[in-house]
Amino acid sequence: MKDLLRLKTSLKEEIENILNEQIKVEAHSSSIYLAMSSWCDDQGLDYSAQFFEKQAAEERVHMMKFFKYVNDRGGRAISPEIKNIPKDFESFRAVFEMALEQEMHVTQQINNIADKCMKSKDFVTFQFLQWFLEEQIEEEYVARRILEIFDVVGEEGTGRWEIDKHVQKVSYSGE
Amino acid sequence: MCRNFNCLDELYRTEFGAVYQCNLKNCYWLEFAGEWYSLNVSDFLFFKKEVDSIDIVSMLVDSSRHSDVVVLQSYRARRCFVLNAVEILQLKDLLSAARFMIELNSVIQECLSYSPSTSVK
Repeated sequence: MKDLLRLKTSLKEEIENILNEQIKVEAHSSSIYLAMSSWCDDQGLDYSAQFFEKQAAEERVHMMKFFKYVNDRGGRAISPEIKNIPKDFESFRAVFEMALEQEMHVTQQINNIADKCMKSKDFVTFQFLQWFLEEQIEEEYVARRILEIFDVVGEEGTGRWEIDKHVQKVSYSGE
Repeated sequence: MCRNFNCLDELYRTEFGAVYQCNLKNCYWLEFAGEWYSLNVSDFLFFKKEVDSIDIVSMLVDSSRHSDVVVLQSYRARRCFVLNAVEILQLKDLLSAARFMIELNSVIQECLSYSPSTSVK
């Protein structure tokens, strides 16, 4: 009997489902960053607003990489429904704490996918994930370093203004 | 789509229906409640996900009349399914078992295509 399933798709159902879940996670991240950008803009924190706008665009690029991969391998990528995006945030610092938590959550999710790929011997998808795992080093580093600036500079006086200015300068060289 | 019984392989049968694979047209045939529906591979997998996602418990708990049935539309099957809770359970069972047989066929094909001579030195 013909193997119609493999003629159609190279992805196992379990892997396709978790990749679609990841599409949702990335889209959710993108929307949260956009909400953070809007909040920062409203608070007069221009550089942070730009930082989060750029982060939102990056998360969408990540989402599209997963989206395209699922379709390219013969699966069916599902356009995600995004709900529960906060509109208000407790404080300037809380925004960056939430950003770090979000990045740590994404890293954990990608680790889980990599683990499932190894167990089901899907080394093609495992290889595809390597780029994301490396990317997460940078994402977590940047969010963590910005939080450290809060401790170094302090929020009193012109502290918030100073921190906002420094946000754009934080980068990861990987060396 | 023309249904040619000579090229249909039965994947799974219950007392309520059956799923067949057509090797000529590369599609599946679903026989359920006296009707026949043809679905390509992608549509079959998507249709199964739709059926699996139906929340039977909330259907049973909800006392409103509209919750007694679920209408499922498969665009290319040219028909819709109007199913009560019992029929949904029957269809879920049938599709899950057929999906398992499809996966089993893939595993068997993979094993058959694996040549032991490549691994034994």
